[in-house]
Amino acid sequence: MTDTNMDGPATPQRKNSLMAPDARTKQRNAAEARFKAYGIIAILIGVFFLVVLAASILRNGLPAFTQTVVELEFTLTEEQYNDAESKVLKTAAYKEFLVTAFRENLSERGVEVPFDESAIDRIVGQAGNTLRTYFRANEDQLGQPVTFSLGASSRVDGYFKGRVTREDLSNSRFLNAEDLDIVDVLADVGIMKQQFNWTFVTGKDAGVDNPGGAGIGASVIGSFFMMLVVLMLALPIGVAASIYLEEFAPKNRWTDLIEVNISNLAAVPSIVFGILGLAVFIQLAGLPQSAPLVGGLVLTLMTLPTIIISTRASLKAVPPSIRSAALGVGASKMQSVFHHVLPLAMPGILTGTIIGLAQALGETAPLLLIGMVGFVAREYPDGIVSGFTDANSAMPAQIYTWAARADQAFYEKAWGGIIVLLVFLLAMNVLAIILRRRFERRW
Amino acid sequence: MNDMRKIERDVDMNDVKISAKGVQVYYGTTHAIKDVDVLIQDKTVTAFIGPSGCGKSTFLRCLNRMNDTIDICRVTGDIRIDGDDIYDKRVDPVQLRAKVGMVFQKPNPFPKSIYDNVAYGPRIHGMAKNKADLDEIVERALRRGAIWDEVKDRLDAPGTGLSGGQQQRLCIARAVATEPEVLLMDEPCSALDPIATGQVEELIDELRNDYSVVIVTHSMQQAARVSQKTAFFHLGNLVEYGETGQIFTNPQDPRTESYISGKIG
Repeated sequence: MTDTNMDGPATPQRKNSLMAPDARTKQRNAAEARFKAYGIIAILIGVFFLVVLAASILRNGLPAFTQTVVELEFTLTEEQYNDAESKVLKTAAYKEFLVTAFRENLSERGVEVPFDESAIDRIVGQAGNTLRTYFRANEDQLGQPVTFSLGASSRVDGYFKGRVTREDLSNSRFLNAEDLDIVDVLADVGIMKQQFNWTFVTGKDAGVDNPGGAGIGASVIGSFFMMLVVLMLALPIGVAASIYLEEFAPKNRWTDLIEVNISNLAAVPSIVFGILGLAVFIQLAGLPQSAPLVGGLVLTLMTLPTIIISTRASLKAVPPSIRSAALGVGASKMQSVFHHVLPLAMPGILTGTIIGLAQALGETAPLLLIGMVGFVAREYPDGIVSGFTDANSAMPAQIYTWAARADQAFYEKAWGGIIVLLVFLLAMNVLAIILRRRFERRW
Repeated sequence: MNDMRKIERDVDMNDVKISAKGVQVYYGTTHAIKDVDVLIQDKTVTAFIGPSGCGKSTFLRCLNRMNDTIDICRVTGDIRIDGDDIYDKRVDPVQLRAKVGMVFQKPNPFPKSIYDNVAYGPRIHGMAKNKADLDEIVERALRRGAIWDEVKDRLDAPGTGLSGGQQQRLCIARAVATEPEVLLMDEPCSALDPIATGQVEELIDELRNDYSVVIVTHSMQQAARVSQKTAFFHLGNLVEYGETGQIFTNPQDPRTESYISGKIG
């Protein structure tokens, strides 16, 4: 019976116990364990950088939300008002009154501090101007005690926030070490204190000499109007284009070409779109420079490919059986798309759109070229039309402008601006998640 | 004798719902259906059987022009329903599909309520004047789909929440809601368990009273159980077409015999 032996296995099969893994299994398990470890390390690295980033942003940016102010009750008589208004140097006159008020206030509290008018200049930057503006606008307040919160100068603010030390001031002409003695006394008696800086959140940009008065509010409005333009143009155009390409267009060389070009457009550097916007919208079409309308148009161009790609992907993800079902009961192509396919693709489309918008919100480079950077947004838009067409800045452009200024206080503002920008992005992402959840329930 | 036969043939001819002559289907360069002639009778269940890829589903989809939705697919030949050439330029496939309903292999209810699933067809075809009308159409369709008793208390529940067998019966109800004259079924039971299959088969038998039913199936037992006529497809050819009993007990073509005895396929 040699034949039977030949047919059987040459060597009897090894029978391993299941209780002990063999060498190959061990090797495979080790490989799996290693891979998991790599994955965890990768995630930890990512988380580490995220934490460092968040921490440094918060550390640098949060001080921008507080502002050192001098709080002082001040009464201006009508006599003083008329007197000051008749002088050549009007704001200087107001400053004199302020200094007097300071002296009186301090001596009432029994604090003796020697200080002169120039010290006031250095400690409270633009006080005279603030007072004059206030009383000119509210003449009925003359003769009445009014409590003013005057923003301290950027160096005094920096001293409170630990940015400026006495050593730094040894040869500074903007602030002396002696001034800091006055500051300490003012802080002790509660005239000078730190409070939440609403001006930063709601205010407009200020000149390079007045970091305390600079706010991001106006550029938030600019960004808002730009996003409005992007949403109103990019969403309908992008969705219509992708529905046509995905559901109706014949698959031929032309549609292939269009498809490739759209994918490529998504990878075009945004500054290219900026120069395109400059050439087409401003130079050719004559639209106003620095206007959110133009910024929105440029960002629309930039966002369109993103929206088209994500919309097409979510249309593709709708099971073909749904289309067949609709066609099978006699729905037209358009009915099958609008009644069945589009509602199912909606969460994906919305997510893609909001991601595209978020990307556009944070875009700076194209705005450089259409003049939304380096522009001091001194005015709020008054109304919808001027919101679109008046020169304004945008959040990232404003941040860039501040970062480029010399005063350290602006550097702090830039970080604060980044916090505001991130809050908006976070809000948009939360919105995306909520919308997604809402529409997904329809399944 | 001769006279008798002639009368018989005349009756047969009158009963023809769909006539297909010389139908060729190409997918790009692939010749998927080769010169198929078939006469499908009214109020009859006609089964298409054959191995996978033999073209039976493709041919079925020619009957309501579902192949139009595939870019590379090309259909030639003559297919008439009630004498009208459905590939004529004047025929709108959307109108055709209202007349020729279709049930698919995988149950594919819309992700909407049971009510909306059934009401969708009647709504887009403007079959109901008011809500009461529509309610009646929906109820009639669900009853015909033999699912009314199971869902009448939860018409607002999503159609996708039903079991597989219920979903398929819902799809049948959806297909009959538009009052088609022909019902095409593409392997309607392949995703169902034996019990659900039994229910659907019973339903198909009842539907025969009102419609011409064409069913594609992989299961020869199913073809034998539900159909009166059977067509055997092989490699894109219609090999044999005739009475179901005859096909299964006394096939004329050796290929049919090998297939039903399990030798090819």
